Amino acid sequence: MNGVQVDSFRRRRDEGPIHDIGDHADQDIDEDFSGKLLVPKHATMDALARSHNFQRDSVSYIFGDHDYTWLALKQDHESRPLWITEDGHIILEGFSPIAEKAIDFLITIAEPVSRPSHIHEYKLTPYSLYAAVSVGLETEDIIEVLSRLSKVPVPESILGLIRDCTLSYGKVKLVLKHNRYFVESSHPDMLQKLLRDPVISGARITGEEDNSSNGMTGNGLLTNKAPNAKDLTIPGIKKDVADPNKAAGAAASANGATAPGNVPNGEEEIFAVVGLDREDDDGENDDVHSFEIDSSSVEIVKKRCNELDYPMLEEYDFRNDSVNPDLEIDLKPITVIRPYQEKSLSKMFGNGRARSGIIVLPCGAGKTLVGITAACTVKKSTLVLCTSSVSVLQWKQQFLLWSNIKPHQIALFTSDQKEKFLGSAGIVISTYSMVANTRNRSHDSQKMMNFLRSREWGFLLLDEVHVVPANMFRKVLTTIAAHAKLGLTATLVREDEKIDDLNFLIGPKLYEANWMDLASRGHIANVQCAEVWCPMTPEFYREYLRENSRKRTLLYVMNPNKFQACQYLIRYHEERGDKIIVFSDNVHALVAYARKLEKPFIYGETSQQERVRILQNFQYNPKINTIFLSKVGDTSIDLPEATCLIQVSSHYGSRRQEAQRLGRILRAKRRNDEGFNAFFYSLVSKDTQEMYYSTKRQQFLIDQGYAFKVITNLDGMDQEQDLVYSTHSEQMSLLQSVLLAQESAADLNEDVEPDLDDLTGNTTRRSGGGGGSVLSHMGSSIAGGSNGAKRSVGGLRSLSGGDQMAYVEYNKAISLKDDKKNRGERHVLFKKHYGKK
Amino acid sequence: MVKAVKGNDSSVKQIILGLNERGQFIIEDLDDTHVFVDASCVEQLRADIDQILNENTYNAEEANK
Repeated sequence: MNGVQVDSFRRRRDEGPIHDIGDHADQDIDEDFSGKLLVPKHATMDALARSHNFQRDSVSYIFGDHDYTWLALKQDHESRPLWITEDGHIILEGFSPIAEKAIDFLITIAEPVSRPSHIHEYKLTPYSLYAAVSVGLETEDIIEVLSRLSKVPVPESILGLIRDCTLSYGKVKLVLKHNRYFVESSHPDMLQKLLRDPVISGARITGEEDNSSNGMTGNGLLTNKAPNAKDLTIPGIKKDVADPNKAAGAAASANGATAPGNVPNGEEEIFAVVGLDREDDDGENDDVHSFEIDSSSVEIVKKRCNELDYPMLEEYDFRNDSVNPDLEIDLKPITVIRPYQEKSLSKMFGNGRARSGIIVLPCGAGKTLVGITAACTVKKSTLVLCTSSVSVLQWKQQFLLWSNIKPHQIALFTSDQKEKFLGSAGIVISTYSMVANTRNRSHDSQKMMNFLRSREWGFLLLDEVHVVPANMFRKVLTTIAAHAKLGLTATLVREDEKIDDLNFLIGPKLYEANWMDLASRGHIANVQCAEVWCPMTPEFYREYLRENSRKRTLLYVMNPNKFQACQYLIRYHEERGDKIIVFSDNVHALVAYARKLEKPFIYGETSQQERVRILQNFQYNPKINTIFLSKVGDTSIDLPEATCLIQVSSHYGSRRQEAQRLGRILRAKRRNDEGFNAFFYSLVSKDTQEMYYSTKRQQFLIDQGYAFKVITNLDGMDQEQDLVYSTHSEQMSLLQSVLLAQESAADLNEDVEPDLDDLTGNTTRRSGGGGGSVLSHMGSSIAGGSNGAKRSVGGLRSLSGGDQMAYVEYNKAISLKDDKKNRGERHVLFKKHYGKK
Repeated sequence: MVKAVKGNDSSVKQIILGLNERGQFIIEDLDDTHVFVDASCVEQLRADIDQILNENTYNAEEANK
């Protein structure tokens, strides 16, 4: 059982979050960038389970390879909270008395896989260990704490994995100090090893070090005191600077929060419980060793270090940066930071320098404020990149709201606005595509780009990092010279599995919040999630089975039973006093639903004025309690009034969209009312592909601990009067209109146009007022009545059959209501023929 | 030899009707949820229906493999 040679196993894209992201996997990268993504070889390594011979019992088959009955428990296993398996999975009892401390530890060393309330699953990966080392944990400490917490002896393979991954990771740092680059490490022998490499030693600057206060040691390395967070203030957390340690304590007791500005203390508590003496605590006198390298060859050295398997962590000693001018920015005194926001920031500024990395917080949990606070801490010129021009405006507004920055110090760079800030330092807010785009620049934006490129940025804030294509990212990161990078996201999942790239492009994940935990503390709303199964009507299902896949989408979305379920839920929740948002990705369905149910709607073509009017009515008008939104509402529309979401159509199996939509109600204003629940419904047509997508979409939220109830029958819906499409003939005319609609009506993306600023396809208004007035739409649909004329979506071409449409065929399918009748009318001779066809 | 297929799901009936277009085995269409089919086709029919319905099921285990 021991002696598993971890090194010899190199698994590829098998399972879990470990993926080989070697150069060859990224063939679409431009030549210039292929060299930039060098991943240390340990990143491809994974602990592997071996097969075991043991007595299997009657339920073993359910568990398959995950049957761990052979693991020997320790004597006192009951008081220990977790199991570790050979393949790096950690199962934690969430109800254990020391679970909270254990979670704090696990979140540092492992990736959370799934976190329902009672049992959590984590996985140890090279990336997570890399992140652990980067926040200062040492190999032996990790192993010691793990074996203390574990009910079973830590498997040899895991020990091997931890040792291998932490051996070289994070031990060497690239520090920008006094505007000179230093390679720093607390292990002088490692630096010596690096210096033996000709490339690195070539980049080294030796010379008069007279202005460096600490002299050179015998081996030619500079020796300094290790950095610590003693005199660092993170605004909004610690207000008194005079005596940081005491002030921290006072501030902590004053506002009842911990003082993460003083990390060693905070963590001492955590680790004292599990019996770990952190080296950092008494390590303040530790020496670090460093040598300086030429700033022009930083990239080369970084690359070389990766090749040598000593990837460098990047730290920015912003307090000692005297060349880049300071930015006058601070949080307003009224701004209060929540405990988890402090915690995430303390991971970033743990040793008094700014570490680059990613912070993961749920939607609605205040990611923006974390970013702003970080900017207020660094106090240097800051570049903020977000995904759309609407977010750009929101960031600006948030900066003005939370900090004391002057409006003239914030510059926007979008396709509409290209301004520079006044003064020597400031904030620029832009979008990824504006910065990454290389072609077709206007003169103005070229000038702006030159400006961005020409200067050094103290801090680069990357919003919604999970949506940005890896290539674009590389481009941005290579054109912008930034000292510290912070990525923010709610959902560190990508359908293209490029998440791992981010770790090496930005930095390790510094913090990931637990959704359930935040919900129980009232920072985000409690949400009841439900999946409502709507049976397809026989006629719709018949057509569904016949149609090609594009049209199928439209058929299952327009299912009359879904219509009714939607109407019923809206009615039910309006009576409860909820404010409801109905989401439909499919614009055709969105318009059809909204008109039929006489509710206002917003989609891509809705003009800006119209949007504002609808949104304001939704917020303040007690008569407008429901609005229909297309994809445009996924992220950028902020409606704290909403308490109920109904999802009618969605973007296939996108887990991210599901989480983002849920995020729309997480910051519900009423969340702190006693017993308040927000509701999230997904309407799904039974026996269709939608079932598949729906389950897939939910996976991310399930891993965050949300439970989806399946509702197969809405109670009381059959007693409900005057639901839409309740008669057969109405359903038939609906079916007819669906079949007559152009195939393109089934497309989910028609709402989204390629826009310079827009990556997610969330926002931006289109020119032209195609949307028209909702109220007039409502009027017309009332006048039209239930059997009223449908506006058919199609040009002359399609009406005349140019799109391969034949009325005859569809009409036949509908008019032949059931096959029995149909067969009777057919001649025996033809009957045979039909059967064969 | 014939056999009535019992069901309670109109969707399944629609699937059966769809399959019937390929090879005729329905002898009589009884009502919304019942059809009368050729017994020799029942096994094959069951397998086909299962397959069609399974296409719509997301399996987290498989997806991760």
